[in-house]
Amino acid sequence: MLQFLIRRLTGAVVIMFLIGAFTFFLFYTVPQDFAALSCGKNCSPENLAVIRENLGLDKPLPTQFWEFMSGIVAGRDFPQGHCSAPCLGVSFESGEFVWDSIIDRFPLTLSLTVGGLVIFLILGLGSGLLAAWKRGTVVDKIVSGASIVLSSFQIYLLGPIVLGLLVYSTGIMEFPKYYNFTEEPGAWFLGMLIPWVVMATIFTAQYTRMSRSTMIEQLQEEHVRTARAKGMRQSYVFFRYAWRGSLIPIVTILGMDLSALLSGAVVTEFTFDLAGIGRLAVDSSLTKDLPVTMGVMLFGAFFILLLNILVDLAYAYIDPRVRLS
Amino acid sequence: MKPIRTRTARAIAVAIVAGSLTLTACSGSDNGGGKESDAKSQKDAAEQQDPVVYGDAAASTGPAKDVAGAKPGGFINVYMQSDLSHMDPGQIYVSDAGQFSNLIHRGLTNYQEDAEGNLTVVGDIATDAGQSSEGGKVWTYKLKDGIKDEDGNPITSADVRHTIERLYSKVIFDGPTFVQSWLSGNDYRKALPDGPYKGKHLPDTVLETPDDKTVIFKFSQPRPDLPQALAMAGYSIVPAKQDTKAKYDKAPAALGPYKIAEYKPGKSMKLVKNDQWDPKTDAVRHQYVDGWNFTNTVSQASQTKRLISDQGEAKNAIQFTDSVDPAQMADVVTNPETKKRTIAGYQPYVWQLTFNLDRIKDKKVRDAITYAIPSQSMVQADGGRYGGEVAGGLLAPTLPGFDPTYDPFGKLKKPNGDIEKAKELLKEAGVKEGTKLTYAYSNTPRGQAQQVILKDALEKLGFDVQSKEIDRASFYEQVGKLNNPYDLYMTGWGQDWPSPSTVITPVYDGELIADGASNYSHVNDKQVNELIQKALKQEPEEAAKTWEQAHHRIVEEINPAAPVYYSKQLQLYGSNIGGARYSTESSYINITDLYLKQP
Amino acid sequence: MTTLTKTEGEKAPTGPDSFLSVRDLRVRFSTEDGIVKAVDGLSFDVERGKTLGIVGESGSGKSVTNLTVLGLHNPKTTTVEGEILLEGQDLVTTPEKEMEKLRGNKVAMIFQDPLTALSPYYTVGRQIAEPFMKHTGASKKEARDRAVEMLTKVGIPQPRTRVDDYPHQFSGGMRQRAMIAMALVCDPDLLIADEPTTALDVTVQAQILDLLKDLQQEFGSAIIFITHDLGVISDMADDLLVMYSGRAVERGSVREVLREPRHPYTWGLLSSMPRLGGSTSQPLTPIPGSPPSLLNPPSGCPFHPRCTFTDKVSGDRCSTERPTLGDGRAAACHLTAEQKQTIFIDKIQPRLR
Repeated sequence: MLQFLIRRLTGAVVIMFLIGAFTFFLFYTVPQDFAALSCGKNCSPENLAVIRENLGLDKPLPTQFWEFMSGIVAGRDFPQGHCSAPCLGVSFESGEFVWDSIIDRFPLTLSLTVGGLVIFLILGLGSGLLAAWKRGTVVDKIVSGASIVLSSFQIYLLGPIVLGLLVYSTGIMEFPKYYNFTEEPGAWFLGMLIPWVVMATIFTAQYTRMSRSTMIEQLQEEHVRTARAKGMRQSYVFFRYAWRGSLIPIVTILGMDLSALLSGAVVTEFTFDLAGIGRLAVDSSLTKDLPVTMGVMLFGAFFILLLNILVDLAYAYIDPRVRLS
Repeated sequence: MKPIRTRTARAIAVAIVAGSLTLTACSGSDNGGGKESDAKSQKDAAEQQDPVVYGDAAASTGPAKDVAGAKPGGFINVYMQSDLSHMDPGQIYVSDAGQFSNLIHRGLTNYQEDAEGNLTVVGDIATDAGQSSEGGKVWTYKLKDGIKDEDGNPITSADVRHTIERLYSKVIFDGPTFVQSWLSGNDYRKALPDGPYKGKHLPDTVLETPDDKTVIFKFSQPRPDLPQALAMAGYSIVPAKQDTKAKYDKAPAALGPYKIAEYKPGKSMKLVKNDQWDPKTDAVRHQYVDGWNFTNTVSQASQTKRLISDQGEAKNAIQFTDSVDPAQMADVVTNPETKKRTIAGYQPYVWQLTFNLDRIKDKKVRDAITYAIPSQSMVQADGGRYGGEVAGGLLAPTLPGFDPTYDPFGKLKKPNGDIEKAKELLKEAGVKEGTKLTYAYSNTPRGQAQQVILKDALEKLGFDVQSKEIDRASFYEQVGKLNNPYDLYMTGWGQDWPSPSTVITPVYDGELIADGASNYSHVNDKQVNELIQKALKQEPEEAAKTWEQAHHRIVEEINPAAPVYYSKQLQLYGSNIGGARYSTESSYINITDLYLKQP
Repeated sequence: MTTLTKTEGEKAPTGPDSFLSVRDLRVRFSTEDGIVKAVDGLSFDVERGKTLGIVGESGSGKSVTNLTVLGLHNPKTTTVEGEILLEGQDLVTTPEKEMEKLRGNKVAMIFQDPLTALSPYYTVGRQIAEPFMKHTGASKKEARDRAVEMLTKVGIPQPRTRVDDYPHQFSGGMRQRAMIAMALVCDPDLLIADEPTTALDVTVQAQILDLLKDLQQEFGSAIIFITHDLGVISDMADDLLVMYSGRAVERGSVREVLREPRHPYTWGLLSSMPRLGGSTSQPLTPIPGSPPSLLNPPSGCPFHPRCTFTDKVSGDRCSTERPTLGDGRAAACHLTAEQKQTIFIDKIQPRLR
């Protein structure tokens, strides 16, 4: 197991390096004068040169690359001060260290993800299991029907409706806002509630459908029938035998969803005027703020790799066949 | 100067990508209160036509006149689409940061605005708007007593010197350059390459500080506009002790009534009262509310929705530099309840269809196109009646000397264009059917909508129009290149202070043609250049006539850019906000007078 | 190992010494295409300590019958009529809770493919111990010891370590041994073996069959042995039931049925089966046609469309009248006893040599 982890982590580091190198050269070889983008109204050649120097764009590309990569490991110095490792450079647009911006945005993204996750896992898996258990009954039909309708909804569609009902027309709730969890847990909860519910609704529907269908599939497995033939209780068979098998496809999808959510829930953030990683990504790409775009990409890549490893670990936990081969 | 290439413009785009803003030009049928608002805007603009007055010591003495009914206490919520571009005064050159600057920064001078919107330049930390001598070549400022930074350090003439000198260093690259270049020439950076940071200073022959309270600016030629230039946010004081160079942009020290309590870049900011600010030293600002909560992630559509609904925290909220979402404009102006919570007024921009004079050399062709532009439709694509107004000339209604009747191309009479006249001119010029024209536009919703309108109009004239879309982030960079391959492009320009000098000089002075400069048409007319030089040395009253002469020469004799429309905006605020008014100085809500009706 | 035998049922068995008695069993599934008559009027008895072999092609209803005995059919889509009497208790009407107590306890089942029939997620030991804990209330440790004991019995080497292995770490034969251990862990009175050797190598097959026989001796269980392989059945079973299209078509002792089969379908089965030592010049004769649809079974004798002897029956009785199966040694066919004997001796027997 340890060997597996070491192997996967080493692989992840190599992949991160390759992604870093690839994005760097892809972005920086684009024929575009990034200094000019940061140049205000007085875009004199002198100002342009100053900006170029401040951004480190006056150096040859290999030097810039070396500084970028070594900055990630060892940190580097900027006119703004020392940027400690992992240093992803400095934003063209705000002058902020990219890592700082990301870390500043991350609590919101994490809150959004974790809160939404709790809701949609409990509700989605729960109702999916219920539908599978009650397969063919009215309960199943209602749950399945509702999940099909809801999964065709979109956050940008449902969000404004919920806002309209709870905020704009009645004022029952305040407009969603992020509060620091450690400082104001109550406000944090109320502030995130609408985004959670809206986001979770769409995910819940998807997870309901998925857990229902994989569960039904599993219930038809022969070993599940064997367990019943042994006289095990139906609920025991359901949760111990069938459920275990249906976890594998669920964990796979969950891993992908989580890494996507952690690298920024763009639509949710824009629907509720929240500032997380997603907004950072979109803002930076619109303003051609390359260091930020690259930073967010690397950050997202990190989560994809991390979740991949976690999913593989989960596989090994769930299925001994994976563990031992 | 100001926006157009600001973060604000880009942020609008952000919202659209997110799908939260619909591209719907306000339809021309918006009825109701429109007329009344136009009249009010015209009136406001009329006030702005008077040249600015320079105030004396009495006018510059605090405290500022109370706003009737104002109460202390509470927090105002500020909605913005994106973060401020800069907070270091030296870097501030756009309106969002300028508006913000009035809350925390102070300069040598500032604008005082009376209830009718009349502007007076008064001393801010200086005792008056400035004493000039030697025909305007030398300007002397005395500092008021009791001016301190947020940590209680008294501000001295050394801090003023520091403020000016740091603009020469590489720390600063985004702010205005008027004063530096007036003092040390266009390549002013060479005069003090490291700024004040390595112990070197400007010689006394340029900038003299004989004692702690006195600052003397010495120019090689008369600079009558200095008090207005110094009132720009870009020349606000940066105390020498507080200067952290590049880091200062994120954590500036306050001299004004509020200071930064918490700042989260790209997200939010909290301002609280600065207890070191003494109202008796300030003739302009108030400190009614306890502080300000900025949320810098609220899309234009969401700002409008929240303010229309006027629920909860939105009651205490304002729009800062953003305006009402064009798609919701009709909802706002047709409902009397929301209508009374709006501020309408001109913005300092004139949208113009710039001709690349290196490519369209025949004035008759330029005139023809100018006649043909359906200006009214172009306005509709930018929010309609509350978004703009058909323009007759190239100077905005916010400038002194604005003449609402000036209309050499008959655009006001025929706002949908005069195709007949245009065709006639083209025939005279001998332009063949199918002549190619390349039109460059920014990939914003507005840019795209206007492209359709313009292309259609030009095709009616028989041109073969090639439209080239340019990424919004690099639009001005692309069209700012001297050898750009485009014939036509829409550009907008706004004043730095209420004087045509800050419009005609940067945009139409042939001496200033350069890559990346703002003379987008590359107009270089000897007569215009001479008029500019003459006006720059004149006192405001006299200069106004010279500017008018230059303006007429540009529009009528050269026509480097067809006037299309004057930009306007409509802002909305919450029902608990008191003292809200259109500020002729900022062209936005009057930030320094606001209070909460029920704190 | 009979220390854990359960109290015998007080009720007198229905048959002479019958432990399980199935009477006129009808099983129907409702599907999207219509009603499938999977089992249609089936009756048989199993005696204590004896083995009943059930043969038939796939889809003949053998597996369905036995799943129904255990109550493992889907109650929502299946209707069951008739009686399944286990020591006089009718399993058709026994509620699910009661059935749970019987399954794996009094009646156990061995499935065809041990790879898919054992859960990949739990150790072999746990899967063996589970029903033991459930039915006897044994502790975890007791159950584990019992699992080791059972593994020893079924001939797994190093059972103390293998008990913690997962099914995929076992070979095919060992998996089936583990499956048998699991089925026998509660010392069942009736063991249903649904093609237990079909998925195995021939050499392993023989071992498993020997094991089953040995264990039957030891445990004294009755066995229902389902197969399509008549070769296997001759070694295993005492009695034999041949099923076709959800019905029994021939019944008798193994010896009787294999030596003197009386139903054309049984003839077909025997002729299509290769034999060791059989003449290589004698070609195998597959049964013509394919098994009938259970959705829409043929009228009359369900085998008549594939039967080569319908012309020997007067009129169109084969296609109109369903032949009945008498008690005891019997075959459901309209041919007369003489006809059957003649045909078997003249036409079938030579092929079987």
